[in-house]
Amino acid sequence: MSTKKLDAIARKSRARRSTKIVLHNGLIALLCFIWLIPIIWLVCTSFSAYPGKNTSTFFPKEWSAVHYAKLLTPDTVNQFPTWFLNTFRIACWTCLVSTAFVLMVAYAMSVMRFRGRKSLMNFAVLLNLFPGMLAMIAVYFTLKTFGLTNSHIGLVMVYSASSGLGYLIAKGFFDTVPRSLCEAARLDGCNEAGIFLNIVLPTAKPIIVYTVISSFLTPWMDFVYAKMILNAGISANYTVAVGLYKMLEKSLINTYFTQFCCGGVLVSIPISILFFIMQKFYVQGVTNGAVKG
Amino acid sequence: MGGKPQAYPRLRRRPDNIATILCQFFADFGKAMAKGDLFVKLTLIWWGAGCLRRKQYAKALILTLLEAGVIWFTCGFAMAYVPKFATLGTVQAQQVFNMQTMQSEWNDYDNSFMILLFSLFSFVVWAAALVLCMKSVIGAYRLQFDSQNGLHINSFREDLQEYLDQKFHITLLSLPVLGIVIFTLIPILLLILVAFTNYDQQHMPPTNLFRWVGLTNFATLFGGGITSTFGYAFWRILGWTLVWSFFATLTNYFGGILMSLLINSKLTRGGKLWRTLLVVTIAVPQFVSLLLMRNFFANTGIMNTLCERIGLTAALRSAGLISTSYIPFLSAPGWAHVMIILINIWVGVPYQMLIATGVLMNLPSDQLESARMDGANPFQIFRAITMPYMLQVTGPALVTDFVKNFNNFNVIYLLTQGVYVTTNQLMANSQAKEVDLLVTWLFTLTQDYYNYKMASVIGIMVFVVCAVFTLIGFNFMLRGDKEGTYQ
Repeated sequence: MSTKKLDAIARKSRARRSTKIVLHNGLIALLCFIWLIPIIWLVCTSFSAYPGKNTSTFFPKEWSAVHYAKLLTPDTVNQFPTWFLNTFRIACWTCLVSTAFVLMVAYAMSVMRFRGRKSLMNFAVLLNLFPGMLAMIAVYFTLKTFGLTNSHIGLVMVYSASSGLGYLIAKGFFDTVPRSLCEAARLDGCNEAGIFLNIVLPTAKPIIVYTVISSFLTPWMDFVYAKMILNAGISANYTVAVGLYKMLEKSLINTYFTQFCCGGVLVSIPISILFFIMQKFYVQGVTNGAVKG
Repeated sequence: MGGKPQAYPRLRRRPDNIATILCQFFADFGKAMAKGDLFVKLTLIWWGAGCLRRKQYAKALILTLLEAGVIWFTCGFAMAYVPKFATLGTVQAQQVFNMQTMQSEWNDYDNSFMILLFSLFSFVVWAAALVLCMKSVIGAYRLQFDSQNGLHINSFREDLQEYLDQKFHITLLSLPVLGIVIFTLIPILLLILVAFTNYDQQHMPPTNLFRWVGLTNFATLFGGGITSTFGYAFWRILGWTLVWSFFATLTNYFGGILMSLLINSKLTRGGKLWRTLLVVTIAVPQFVSLLLMRNFFANTGIMNTLCERIGLTAALRSAGLISTSYIPFLSAPGWAHVMIILINIWVGVPYQMLIATGVLMNLPSDQLESARMDGANPFQIFRAITMPYMLQVTGPALVTDFVKNFNNFNVIYLLTQGVYVTTNQLMANSQAKEVDLLVTWLFTLTQDYYNYKMASVIGIMVFVVCAVFTLIGFNFMLRGDKEGTYQ
């Protein structure tokens, strides 16, 4: 075969490969574009000069950042800065309690061996099968009896009290901590509490970061529970989710839709940052733990 | 332990199922009562007695205080509610004119809900007290045994030390378990009880009483009278809930795997960037993104304007697929069902993509290489190597995902609440919509119609269905219990 012919074949296969690459990346780009349309629409609409819903064009007719300014100056309906602070405060407390609970339960279930451990785990699986909504209805009445509805304490309790049930991912991680490490510590006269605090926790940084961020994000992402607990209260007590939802009520949507979009963008920014930090641990944690049941 | 004799004969092999544990607990208790001295027997009445006899003063004091607390709780609180548990209260709330104050005042009425809630709470407290009492009897006998055989008896400090060492799990678990009992277990039990009462809008405490009605609500759901449409609505909604969970789980699962294969392929340029773009869509909270979608696909929304402009609406109308001047993306049965599943793909696939990426990173690459050597095409590799591996690792997660989707409140509620109005009179009679899942129906029933009795029955049914699917699912899936692998 002449070199010319070989060259031609090589060029052809190279060409085929590069068209393949172009097609492949084109497909990915298309998919990503489809996935991003709502986000693009959110950001574009938030910069619209028109306060209500834009139904005729995808992009706003007039661009302006005036609604961001409006969103940050409270009026009778919109108290976004207060909502943001409320959510932040609730998130901090939830994060504190949930993280402690999850790590405690996970350690006890993973590292320690005691009677009734398996039974407790099975019981947790059983409890998880009941719709959370059902328990919430009763919790609502209980909280109401104690005057804790429309209060942030009640909401923090709702978010964090049962968080111990979500211990599986952290347990999956603790399961991979080498047992020999604990044995060595025990031989050195370390008690179980010491092993937990000084040996296991320092090696469990990824799962701690994951638990902290995911429990911090719960109040930001949640809508139903916040609506149930805070719905009847005053606007200054709302979280971002409840507040923004109220903006879309039929009588308000035409004056507040753009502000809703601004609020959506402003909430999404900190969440996205945290999510990107968590992303790595999310994959690690989930693939280590939960999926293996 | 060294050469020290065993303090108290205990079972060597520790059984770990609830029946054996209970049997042994009762056997221990019986033995303690039979062989114990006067103080052990006295412990049954005065919890601190046994400890006091063995000079464990601090522990005796704590137990006595606890007992006093339980007695105070019983007399001061529980007795006001528990005796009325059988009837759930008999005194209807009324306004009575008081001659002394010249004002009308409420009479001393019964509140059925409080009676139910606090009775249940009392039962839980009493059950805990009973266990504590029996435990202290067993403990007292153990102390007697130890002291008779001249063995070491723990000081209070040593007892406390134990809670940081052998009994550390009790320290760790007590608070989380308390949280779960109060915020999950008691509420669930409470609503199971409500399913057997007639607690609804006509029987709302405090102004009205509700009472036990036995299995009537279950009969309403399954038998249905002539007027009741709950049975009709229930089977319809259950059917759609199952269809939805099936498609939502499957589309997300395979969509996630395909997406992850696509992005992690060798042909991809700038893989991290693409993944980041997709993750942005997860980071936007669902109440923002879904409420936005709802307006995007609204009857007068932008999607309809676009479809109108390109002539799609007219084409569909002439094809007889729609009869309105707009495309009812989220407001007509059929259309809404499909749209919800499609939008859920948008919501869920990036999540599954992240998980699948993590799992596929550990895919044994030697198998892939040898398959490629043997000339397998990408589809064959996917079918014979990638998928079996994925299924093996994430199989159980598929079952939990199914249950999660079965109870997926957010997607349905945020997309259809206030937008979708049912035209089916039978559904409307039961306050249901064609696109409702059982959980959203349950939510509407309680939030808007105060129909707690039916909501509780539906909740129980949800549990039954989820439990059945979980059992079947886990029996089919190979359960990869890796608990002991690394330890």
